[in-house]
Amino acid sequence: MLALLRLLLIGFAVLTVIYAAISLWSRRVRRRRLEREWDEAQGPGSRERFVADGLRHYDRSLRRKLILGVYILPLCLIALITYLTNFH
Amino acid sequence: MRYVKWFVIIAFWVLVAGFLHYTLPQHDVARITDTYEKRIDPGENALFWANASTGENVNLTGRDVFFIQTRLNNDKVMVYRNEDTGWGWPPYFKFDTSNLQAEAADLRSTAAAPQWVVIKHYGWRNEFLSVYPNVVSIRPVDGPDVRIIPWLNIVLLTLLVAVSWAIWVRWRRFREARIDPVLEDVGDNLDEAGGRIRGLFRRKG
Repeated sequence: MLALLRLLLIGFAVLTVIYAAISLWSRRVRRRRLEREWDEAQGPGSRERFVADGLRHYDRSLRRKLILGVYILPLCLIALITYLTNFH
Repeated sequence: MRYVKWFVIIAFWVLVAGFLHYTLPQHDVARITDTYEKRIDPGENALFWANASTGENVNLTGRDVFFIQTRLNNDKVMVYRNEDTGWGWPPYFKFDTSNLQAEAADLRSTAAAPQWVVIKHYGWRNEFLSVYPNVVSIRPVDGPDVRIIPWLNIVLLTLLVAVSWAIWVRWRRFREARIDPVLEDVGDNLDEAGGRIRGLFRRKG
């Protein structure tokens, strides 16, 4: 069982790095898009306010929660491979 | 200097190719001639033997390992080992070694009445190092010339190339936008020998 624990711990560490990188990247992409949107339309309201509101909306969105798939997908993959290798 | 650069580049790609060639599954069409068990004490070649802790004591160095003897459809002989990979590397998550050995023993055949099988395995055979490929699965087939399409390898390698490419492109874009200008600034400052370090900090946005 120690081997399983090691796999899970190392996997968790690696996936956390990936999760953090994707989160930061995705948020930055969203921020840029909001800024561009405001620049093109020159409104509504102030630029900072528009971007902050947009980002708050993004923080609650499903899109952001989908990044959790970074953890879920590999776990499903491990289960699938284990099944196919040993019980199929 | 140019030779060093090429040496590093070639060594890198040889390592990547070797790693993939060792780890990814391959298929052999073969006829199982015998199955046996032999005590193995991995030494210098320990890297090429599995050390999965699947419930056994892992402090002992020697252990009994299952082997499967075959004759391939190109008439050469090939010997495979049959070991659990457990939760370790490579990630086949194989725990059914004993069952697989039972299947292999069941599919034994003679040259007179051949029963052909497709053997999915990873790893290399090396006589000098006493290294054997590890069997992942066995399935019986009708004849020695079945056509095998390695779907898994096609999908995995395509994904690998796509992901590497995506990361590489983004890294290059990042470098061109953020790191190269700063390095140029540093160069300029050194050229001027005035140490206009403030220029570094002025670059914002």
